[in-house]
Amino acid sequence: MTPFELAQPASLAEAIALLDPNDTAIRPIAGGTALMLMMKMGLYEPQKLISLRGIEPRYSEVAATADGGLRIGAVTPLRQLEMLPVVAERAPVIAHTMRRLSNVRVRNVARLGGHLAHGDPHLDLPPVLIALGATLAIAGPNGERTIAVEDLFQGYLETALAPDELIVEVNVPAAAAHTAYLKHTTRSADDWPALGIAVALDMQGDSVSGARVAIGAATDTPRRLTSVEAALQGEALSDAAINRAGEAAAAEAEVHSDARGSAAYKRELIRVFTGRTIRQATGREA
Amino acid sequence: MSRHTINFTLNGRPVTADVGTHQNLTEVLQESFGLFGARESCGQGLCGCCTVLIDGAAVTSCLALAAFADGSDVQTVEGLADGEELSPEQEAFIEIGAFQCGYCTPGFVLMTRQLLDENPDPDDDEIKHYLSGNLCRCGAYPEIVQAVRLAGEKRRAR
Ligand SMILES: Cc1cc2nc3c(=O)[nH]c(=O)nc-3n(C[C@H](O)[C@H](O)[C@H](O)COP(=O)(O)OP(=O)(O)OC[C@H]3O[C@@H](n4cnc5c(N)ncnc54)[C@H](O)[C@@H]3O)c2cc1C
Ligand code: FES
Ligand code: FES
Repeated sequence: MTPFELAQPASLAEAIALLDPNDTAIRPIAGGTALMLMMKMGLYEPQKLISLRGIEPRYSEVAATADGGLRIGAVTPLRQLEMLPVVAERAPVIAHTMRRLSNVRVRNVARLGGHLAHGDPHLDLPPVLIALGATLAIAGPNGERTIAVEDLFQGYLETALAPDELIVEVNVPAAAAHTAYLKHTTRSADDWPALGIAVALDMQGDSVSGARVAIGAATDTPRRLTSVEAALQGEALSDAAINRAGEAAAAEAEVHSDARGSAAYKRELIRVFTGRTIRQATGREA
Repeated sequence: MSRHTINFTLNGRPVTADVGTHQNLTEVLQESFGLFGARESCGQGLCGCCTVLIDGAAVTSCLALAAFADGSDVQTVEGLADGEELSPEQEAFIEIGAFQCGYCTPGFVLMTRQLLDENPDPDDDEIKHYLSGNLCRCGAYPEIVQAVRLAGEKRRAR
């Protein structure tokens, strides 16, 4: 790794002021787990890193909101999402996802904001947060704006953030009654999953009254699968309806062949795992 | 500004080091303090050979900027024994023979320390899940799980 300057501001305002709208050689660093890998491989050589670890403590806190959801500070370590009872109560799918997200040491250090801003389509929480309908509060020199999590991801490691903007909070609305996330890893050399899929369903009696479905890893960016959501709407979850949802997912998702599998294989994974995730979310036998 | 002076507690003693901002903690522990218990193997966060505890939490030191250790409490495997008396985790690994070459052992021992701090009596599934980010090329896994159980017993008896 090459030498760089490291700034450790004590406030969000200072951190934003240290960033430069036109210079990507100056970047924020949170846990540093993703940046360290990129710097070690020589993929990124910063001039200056701005640490977010010392900014106001409220950006590392998780709070229950009045509407039954969660407000999660962007500097919150992933391990907190795993351990805090309020997360397990209000968004159990987030706590559950942590069980298979990396290892304890990485979760101790990595922060939610870094996890999202990294923009890697293989990560686990983007599809989960998209299915939950979460939004991001983003702060920059001209104030704050809010975007949906699905609008953050613009391409491989590309996000909608300007170089002088920071994710400050993740707002998760009250979770749907039936949620699940499954991923499938094909034992490729680099061990990233071939597919991650998250489902959030509300039911009225026997039929689906609200559906959000999101995938990651198999596609260029984590994204919603709106045709699957439409296919599920109003359906009683019969085997036939679940199969139709799987077909819709395989048709909608644009996939490519790579080390984790051929495009045809990934389409088949998507078809099968859409059904499995729906069944898991609703407590049906897989 | 690409160098920082950091002050931290290392295995119970206050220390100071002059570090390059680009240096990771494994490097600094080895070069400035002659501590080789944390060693870099994969260098990517996957194997756990470089595990240290920072403020009681296990961290991958090969992916940790040394500059971030400023003000923290760092513990390495060298700090576990009390003089000649080994810690329960160390004793358990030796008694079970939970290693062959020993390269991975400091990482497993420190993970065991943190696991037992959080959960004094883990079952085998909890042990395996907790240690899933540590690799042993010699394949001593069954003995490692046994050693963690024995370490738990020893700690509960003390
Ligand atoms: C060994 C290993 C295994 C892993 N396995 C998994 C896995 O199984 N599943 C999974 O999902 N992930 C996995 N990961 C990836 C891991 O989740 C990410 O590296 C981590 O979440 C990134 O968070 P960080 O705080 O360390 O980010 P950093 O490295 O600090 O930052 C990442 C990026 O985000 C930017 N950034 C940071 N914070 C902000 C902010 N608040 N606003 C704007 N930009 C910001 C930085 O400038 C940088 O570009 C693994 C990583 C490792 C090292
Ligand atoms: S060397 Fe750090 S995790 Fe492998
Ligand atoms: S004992 Fe040799 S790597 Fe574990």
